[in-house]
Amino acid sequence: MTAGPYADAAGLVERSAAAYAAAVPVAPADDGYFGPASVTWRVSADLSAPVAGLRSLLMQALHPLAMAGVDQHSDWRTDPVGRLAATSAYEVTVTFGDRASARRVADRVRAIHEHVRGVDPVTGRPYQAGDPALLLWVHAALVDSALAASALFGTPLADAEADAYVAEMAVAAELLGTPREIIPASAAALARYIDGVRPDLRRTPAAAESMGYLLDPPGLDEDIAGLWQDIRDAAVASLPGWAVGLYGYPEPAPLTGQRRTEIRQALGVLDAVFLGEPGVLEARQRIAVRMRAAARS
Amino acid sequence: MKTPKTRRLATAAAVGGLSIAALMLVRGRGRGGRTVRARPARLRLERGMATVRLAARGGARYATNAPRLFASAGEHRQALRNDLALQTAEDVAATLGTMKGVLMKLGQMASYVDDGLSPAARRTLSRLQDSVPPMSPELAAQVIEEELGGPPEQVFATWDPGPIAAASIGQVHRAITHDGRAVAVKVQYPGIAETIAADLGNVALLRRMLKITAPMQDVDALLDELRERVTEELDYRREARNQQRFARYYAGHPTIHVPDIVPELSARRVVTSELADGARFAELAGWSQAERDLAAETIYRFVFRSLYEEHTFNGDPHPGNYLFHGGGRVTFLDFGLVKHFTEEELKPLVAMVKHLCVENDPEAFRRSMEEAGFLMPGAPLPTDMIVEHMAVFYDTVRERGPRTMTGSYATAVTRRFFDFRSPLAAYVQIPRSYVILQRINLGLFALLGELSATADWRGIAEEIWPFVQGPPTTPMGAAEAGWRAARSGAGHPGRSVGLFGFYCLANGSGGLLNCGIRLNGRRYLAGL
Repeated sequence: MTAGPYADAAGLVERSAAAYAAAVPVAPADDGYFGPASVTWRVSADLSAPVAGLRSLLMQALHPLAMAGVDQHSDWRTDPVGRLAATSAYEVTVTFGDRASARRVADRVRAIHEHVRGVDPVTGRPYQAGDPALLLWVHAALVDSALAASALFGTPLADAEADAYVAEMAVAAELLGTPREIIPASAAALARYIDGVRPDLRRTPAAAESMGYLLDPPGLDEDIAGLWQDIRDAAVASLPGWAVGLYGYPEPAPLTGQRRTEIRQALGVLDAVFLGEPGVLEARQRIAVRMRAAARS
Repeated sequence: MKTPKTRRLATAAAVGGLSIAALMLVRGRGRGGRTVRARPARLRLERGMATVRLAARGGARYATNAPRLFASAGEHRQALRNDLALQTAEDVAATLGTMKGVLMKLGQMASYVDDGLSPAARRTLSRLQDSVPPMSPELAAQVIEEELGGPPEQVFATWDPGPIAAASIGQVHRAITHDGRAVAVKVQYPGIAETIAADLGNVALLRRMLKITAPMQDVDALLDELRERVTEELDYRREARNQQRFARYYAGHPTIHVPDIVPELSARRVVTSELADGARFAELAGWSQAERDLAAETIYRFVFRSLYEEHTFNGDPHPGNYLFHGGGRVTFLDFGLVKHFTEEELKPLVAMVKHLCVENDPEAFRRSMEEAGFLMPGAPLPTDMIVEHMAVFYDTVRERGPRTMTGSYATAVTRRFFDFRSPLAAYVQIPRSYVILQRINLGLFALLGELSATADWRGIAEEIWPFVQGPPTTPMGAAEAGWRAARSGAGHPGRSVGLFGFYCLANGSGGLLNCGIRLNGRRYLAGL
């Protein structure tokens, strides 16, 4: 599996953990764009988060222009682990950081997006990363995946909470330059939007290759690789049927209660491993203290 | 495939696998200690190889770190954070559910079943423990009420709502009983037992993890064993019984103190014992070498007295489990991991020591090793080689005279233990009943090594060995002989009479050292 232009995935947990620990603020100036009482904070801390993350990449990659941008401009092939760690650090800063920090990292991404433009070799269409349509797809895939993953493998949200989450998250898309008025603000609107994009979606060779890598990353520590199989199965099982069809993956086995428990347990073990990395426990506690304080008041 | 040179990521999953696998390796399908012999030799050989592979995973890393074991093993519990306190049983489930409680328990077991854990795995488990906040005062009170039938302020005369220490699945509070005893009350997290039971009730993931780690094991039997052990340990009543047994046996001992259990204030999730205070292990480092030697002598006597006379071994020699009072007096805490041996199980072990150290009969030693199930009968190995290999474990007791335990001795013992490249490896294994005894090598010696303790260990051993029953060789031995003489007389001094009684300590020749009144397991009015 080492053949090809991809670097291996050794260090995935360590580097993600280091990025996470560094991104959770120590002395935030304010509660940021969401705050400790938000649904967003709860969702971010959910056990199902790794599944949500993988699923959202699977969804995002189905947009040929979004995929082309990553394929042609990102350091994804040479440093996939670094890329993933940086992405998750970005999400953590936007979620838990104060407003200035969130704006700072978002502005940096916007600046990089300025240079990410080109032509998708599959569709022949030009793209630019700052295109609100692409930004919105990436955003929607993430929000939809968090809902799907938590419903299946984490703490499911009540309908009103799901709506609140979708509405809260709009600001994350806005920070990257998506106009507010096109961002879905309820779970139903989100579902309608995704349905509307479906005709544009397809599995390009770049998507097949990069997702193939993600579903079976080479170089993982043996024990992590075992757990990753569960995360992968969970992510694929949580995809809409049409997305599984686009990828041409075999129909996932139906999720029995037992299989779901097994996946949740794998998530728990992975979480314990993550917690064992330096700084992660302290970062978690920084968040927990603020959430507890918010819950008390 | 590029493999990271150092396995920073020896995961908790592997920890679980390793420990349970180790449990299983030394256990046949059925119960009881002699199942090893019932297995065909070929299978045993294969299982031996699996041991090699398993232990090699973490063992090599560990060996070089053995003397440092105690610096890292859970000492650094974070300060209890009230702002993170668990408020409800749901909080407990959220914190310790989905395998975390199971992993913590497995980790605790792994640390006595097999110390061949990599530092990374050790760190993961230690962090997992650190990640559990204390219960809020209300939640702890709720458990007390459910278990003891009333709120703590009513059940106890005085109750300190703030915990003084964390336990692996609970926390410790101070209280004063209505009859005026200062006690330590260990309270278990509510729902933890159910959470762990639920995770152990669905073992698909564990089964898979184990197949990776231990492909040749009977995974289902192993999981049954695991479930049983964990369930057992979740019941504090068992721990209370063990501690009470030790307390009763050592009542009146000149230097060994085991806090008494208060049975009427103990239950499934609460265990109440006499409150003890003293210097911690870390403080002992600042004491004189003479004091450290005495403390070491007491620990040594405790371990081997318990083993040879009570057939009992406390498998948790963690330095946090001792309090030191000077003059060699030591309080022993935490009896959650206690193993009782049958006469039958102990016999070959005793024979091994006798043949090697006293009778100097290598062939008989080899036969005892085979009888114990340590060595495959008929292994094509010269007896010299076996003796040479095993001798390091007996190094401190082969000859009379003062010997200093050192960190490097502890390391040598550990290294030999995990030396799976040795030609013996394929023929040697550890029967299940004896697994816990690794703790003598890996725990006790490391502990004494850390103290750089000097004593005539052989002399002390001879006092204790049932086949020698030598005369006292140290002042402490003399005091202990007096205690033994008294307790073998008319009942146990100061214990058989329950709450109140007289006690006397005598020296070896029958002279009185000390007399007084005992009340609730404590000595008052020490005279002479």
